[in-house]
Formats: sequence, C-alpha cells, structure tokens
Amino acid sequence: MNKRIFFLLTALLVVTLASACAPVSPATTAPAATTAPPAATTAPPEPTAATSAGATNLQLLGWSASDVENETLKQVIADFNTAHPQYNASFEASPNYDQSLQTALAGGAPPDVFYVDSLKFPDLIKNDVLAVPPDGIQNPDDFYPSLRAAFTANGTFYCPPKDFSTLALIYNKSMFEKAGVEVPTTWDELKAAAEKLTDASAGTYGLSLSADAARWLAFLYQAGGVVVGPDGKMNIDTPEAKAALDYYTGLLVDGSAVTPDKVDSGWNGEAFGKAKVAMVVEGNWIVPYLKNDFPDVDFGIAELPAGPAGKATMAFTVCYGVPKNAAHPEASWTLVNSLTDEAGMKKWTDLGLAMPTRKSLREGWVKEFPELTVFLDGADYSHPWQFAPGFTVVTDAINKGIQEIAAGQATSESVLKTVQSAGQDVLGQ
Amino acid sequence: MATTHIAGQRRQELVAGYSFVGPALLILLIFLFIPMFFTLWMSFRDWGGISPPANSTPIGLEWYQKLLFEDNIRRSEFFLAFKNTFYYAVGVVPIQTALALLLAVIANSALLRFKGFFRTTFYFPSITSSVAIGLIFLWIYQSGGILNQTIKFFFPDYKNISWMNDPSGLIHNTLGLFGLNIRTAPSWLTETNVLSLTLWQWISGPSVTMSALMMLVIWTTAGTMMLVFLAALQDVPRPMYEAAAVDGATGWDQFWNITVPMLRPTIFFVVTLGLIGTFQVFDQMYVMTSGGPAGTTISLAYLIYRAGFKDAQMGMASAISVLLFIIIFVATLIQRRVFGDRAQT
Repeated sequence: MNKRIFFLLTALLVVTLASACAPVSPATTAPAATTAPPAATTAPPEPTAATSAGATNLQLLGWSASDVENETLKQVIADFNTAHPQYNASFEASPNYDQSLQTALAGGAPPDVFYVDSLKFPDLIKNDVLAVPPDGIQNPDDFYPSLRAAFTANGTFYCPPKDFSTLALIYNKSMFEKAGVEVPTTWDELKAAAEKLTDASAGTYGLSLSADAARWLAFLYQAGGVVVGPDGKMNIDTPEAKAALDYYTGLLVDGSAVTPDKVDSGWNGEAFGKAKVAMVVEGNWIVPYLKNDFPDVDFGIAELPAGPAGKATMAFTVCYGVPKNAAHPEASWTLVNSLTDEAGMKKWTDLGLAMPTRKSLREGWVKEFPELTVFLDGADYSHPWQFAPGFTVVTDAINKGIQEIAAGQATSESVLKTVQSAGQDVLGQ
Repeated sequence: MATTHIAGQRRQELVAGYSFVGPALLILLIFLFIPMFFTLWMSFRDWGGISPPANSTPIGLEWYQKLLFEDNIRRSEFFLAFKNTFYYAVGVVPIQTALALLLAVIANSALLRFKGFFRTTFYFPSITSSVAIGLIFLWIYQSGGILNQTIKFFFPDYKNISWMNDPSGLIHNTLGLFGLNIRTAPSWLTETNVLSLTLWQWISGPSVTMSALMMLVIWTTAGTMMLVFLAALQDVPRPMYEAAAVDGATGWDQFWNITVPMLRPTIFFVVTLGLIGTFQVFDQMYVMTSGGPAGTTISLAYLIYRAGFKDAQMGMASAISVLLFIIIFVATLIQRRVFGDRAQT
C-alpha cells in the first residue's frame, strides 16, 4: 500500500520536474542589424503532407526568407516526391537555423540536406562535416565561376549553389521625377542625388543605409580596396578602405542618408516601401517584398554607382550541402541533384524569387524577368560574401565601427585599425 | 530484537528518502551537473561546435589567455561585454529592489482598497513572456513610437531619441554637457588602454539603448521581487508598529526603523537574485537589439551565444561561461560582505 503511494508520488514528481525542465523555445524575430543579407522573417514549419508507406524520409533543413519562398520550395519538393515515390522529402524552415544545424551536426544526427550560406561554408569545411559528392556535381562548368569558387575548397566542388543574389540600387521613380534627379552612376552623383532628394522637414531622405558590413564592402571594392590581400594577409587598413568608409559614413553623418530605424522601419526595404527614402542598396529579395507589401511604389533598379576603381557589388549565395555522415547519402544526392540540375533549377528560379546559378538558364530567365537583369548582370563584377573561417568576428567589428562613426564616437582610422587587428587575429597572423 | 527492528525501520526510511530525492537528483545530474562539467572541460579545448565534441583538440588555457591577457579583439569584446553587463547590473539592481519594496509596502498598506487588483497588476509583467514584452517595447521605443510622442506632447521642443539605435553612453552624454567629448577629452583618457578598452570607453556608462532595455527589465522584474517582499511583510509583527506609533513615530520613521531592518534578510535575497539575473541577461538583447548599436548592448550571455553559434567557437564560448560563473560568484561574495553576516537566514 505505502509502496504504491510512494511509487505514484515519485512518478508524479518526475513528470512535474521533467515538464519544468523542458526547454523554452526562444522565438526569434528578424534582428534589425543582422549581417545576413536577406531580412529573414520566420514562419513556423508546417507539418508535411502524407507519408507514403515504405518511403525513405528526407529532411531538408533551411531558413525561411518569406512565406512565398517557403510555399514555392514546398511545391518543388512535392514534385520531387511525386517523381521519386521511394523518397519522401520535406522542407523544414528553422527559425534558429544556426543552432538547429549546429546541434544536429554535433549530435551526430544531421539533416539529410541543408542550406549552406557562403559565409558559413569555410567553417563547415574547417570542421570537416560536408560530404564530397561521390559522382561530382552535375555539369559543374555550367555554374558561374565565382559561385562555383564560393563552394570549392581544396580543389573539391562540395555543393551546388541553389541560387544567388546581388546588390543593386533600387530607386523610387516618382521621387526622382519630382526632384529632377537622374539615376546616379558614380559616387559623386549618388551623393549629390541623395542631398537633393533629402527633405528632413518632411521626413524624407535620399538614401537608407544600414550600418552593415555586407553593404559597405561593395563600396570598399568600388574604391579598389580589399579585405584580404592576394598574399592571404589581412589588408583592410588602407587609403582605399578609408575613402570607402569615409564616403559611406559621410552620407549618414551629413543626413542625406539615414539608418532605417530613423524612419521607423525594420529594414531598408520597409523604409523604401513607405517612401521615406528615395534609394536603397538591396538585393533581388526586395522585389517580391515590394510587389507584395507596397504594390503602389513605382521603383527602378540600377547598377550600384561606380567608385574610384570602377563597378563592384556583393554576391550572396547558398548551396545544398550533404553531411558527411548522412543516413542515406544516395538519396540525399538524388534530392540535391534534382533540385539543382537544369530542369530542377529552372522550376525554382522561374518563379522569379531567385536567380539561376547556371549560365545556361540565363537567357530564358532574362526573357522572363527583364526588369531584374541588373541583378543577374552583377554576377560579372561581384565579390563573394565569403572569408576565412570565424570571420564573423571581423564583420561584426565592421558593423560596430560603422555605427560608432555614424554616432560620432570613433574615427575611420581607429575603426580600420581595429578591424585590421581583428582580421589578423582570426587569420592567425 | 528491538534494535534490529529499529535498524530495519531506519533502512526503510533511508530507502524512502532517497527514492524521494532520487528523481530530482537524476534530473539535476543530467541537466545541470553534466552540462556544467562539460562546459568546463570544453573551455580547455578547441571545438567549433559544428562537428561532434570528440573531434575537438585540447589547447589548454589558450582561451583564457586570449580573453584575459592578450591585447586582441577577443579580449576587447569580452571586456566590452563585461562593461555593458556591469553598468546594466549597477543600474537595474538598486532601482528594481527599491521599486519592488515600494510597491510591496503600497500593496500591503492597510489603507489601500482593491489590494488584489493592484497586486495582480504589479505582478502581471513578470508572468508575461519576455519575448512578447520585448516586441511590444520595440514598438513603443520606435522613433515615432508612443514614448517619443508622449514626451513630445509635454515638451514640444523635444527632439526624438532613437531609443533602439543610440550608442552614446549616459556618462559620456553628461560629460558632453560640460563640453567634454571624445575630441576634447585629454589624451590620457582616450589613449590609455586598460584591458583592451580605453579609459574613455570604460567610463561611457550604459548607452541610451541599454538604458531603454534597463527600464524595460526593471518594469518586468519589480513585480516578482514585490511578491517576495509582500510575503516577508506579513511576518513583521504588527505590535511593533503600534508601539512605535504610541511613541510618536511617523510612517516614515516606521518604514526606516522597523520595516527595512526587519526585511534585511529579504533585501539580501532580492539583491542576490537580482545580481545573478542581471549578470545573465540575454533575452532582451536577443529579441530587441542583437547586441547593437555599436555593440553597446552585448551582454556576457549574449557574447557567449554569439561566440558559440555565430562565430563557431564553442570552446571560447565555454571559457566565457566559466568566467561569467566566476564573476557572478565573486559579485555575490562581495555583496554578502556589504550586507554583513546578520543578513544570513
């Protein structure tokens, strides 16, 4: 009798404690200052559709850029499942992608396929967690060389890039007309245009610029600067970098450019959509956003203005990686290949959200989306958003530095010195 | 015969006792002690956190060396986070404790009507999700948000403060009123480096954005602490107040000479909890600022998260965790000293 009561009480205790210890899942929101280019809004993963009996389950782990993109990818994957009845693939958009992937990899139970951001790729290679494709990547020479290089390490092309984005200048046509401003093509013209378009009393500004390394680096390359020199040494403390930093922060200090929060917006795209600013430096992800949320805004897309050393932009790309200890390597590669071969990629990029990484698809895509050609052309003069492993420390130092200069708390010299030494530390120099 | 019976009974009690605490011990072991020692062990290894832990390599005290003794970016980030967290704790703990005590005394007052309503209202923020509160405050703190609009209503000349994006420190701003800023400050302030930060950086005070987070946290946690004070207030014998009243003590005298001394152990408890909680602050930074602007809201816990999950340096993140533990431990010891031994309960 007593023992039974003891047992019951003990069981009750265990249950209560276990539930009390259950981890509270932290909900995330798009952090306003993320360095990751796409403003990642989160959406809960939906339960996947019917599982056919006996089929191998495949999990594709990624993040969610927008609802439209989620739905589109799910449709593409549903088509894959229909074509390959032996597999049952599903897409999981994790709100905490970095944590989810890291714990899964470290715990030895990785997803079958996962997104690999070009910035994260060196870290994954350093930790040796990516599988080498057994039969190579299908038709590898068809990929743009710079994008192929982003996912090549030690001579191996590890994973096919699923799509890519570049930065361009998005401008508000009617605001340009009203102010009588032409589309700027050089730094001087951009500065003059931004000043002319600014009317602080009306709360409208020329440009919305986030204090963000991913955007400033485009200006650095336009000025002829580098992050890491050809000898592999950190080399950012240069006159070119200073010119780029002074120019970029100068726009913010002058008041012809603002950070999006100054105009009550979460990111540049929102500030632009609300017509608080006439220009933004953004990637092609802004186009579906504007069409969806601000259908009345008449916008144009132009190349980023050229700097003293010519044109440059940033390219952001993501590939489908397969983990080294995948449970069903063959199935994983089948999924990767069918998502990135000519037919699969066409299906995905024809929806206009993402740009094809295969040259052979270029012509058809340009015909379909002529207004987005500027972004695609950027591939020719773009620099990859990729550095050595652990480089987020350096990009964070750049973000911090830009914010400090904009707030009048630091000089460009001191910031570049800090960034230089941070880079040397990460590179072990 | 009798002794064996007693021994048997004791054994039975022993078994019962352990089976009661057993599950709790097991859970503590799995969720607390193992992770704690794992963290300590990891802080001596080079582990990115991406591959299985067995693939890590031992590197001895290198992380501690880098974080504490070498002049590099890691040390400047660590001490920046330490500085931010320190200002945060120094700002939050006293105000939150004083406010909680005040609320408790009000809610306990014999004169107050609708006690239940006030107690619930004061306590409500504490039981609301910090993420939800963070998002609502983001909206309140916007440049054109309710807070700025309200201030503007009363002071038409007020220039909007961008609460969520102002990295200027409060002490810096105060010095600025007297004409002292980074350009006019003497070079011994701006050029002397102490632990990878200049003296000028050390004396910044919490940034405007950090202060906004501090206000939010004070508002949310004061309710919890109020509850503790309320419970303790019930134990203060009423005759003491009556005797004091007879002797002609005012309400103010009674508060300082009866309520506060009687609540000393509780104040110690609340301050200790507050210190530990503030040194571990993470949620608000994660949801609202991501450590920005200009790194002025990076707390030690947020730095641990960033090192582990963004920079793929789980070994270093573990080392920072161990240092954070030591910091909290020392802070608690100091505070115990300050409150004296009488505070022990």
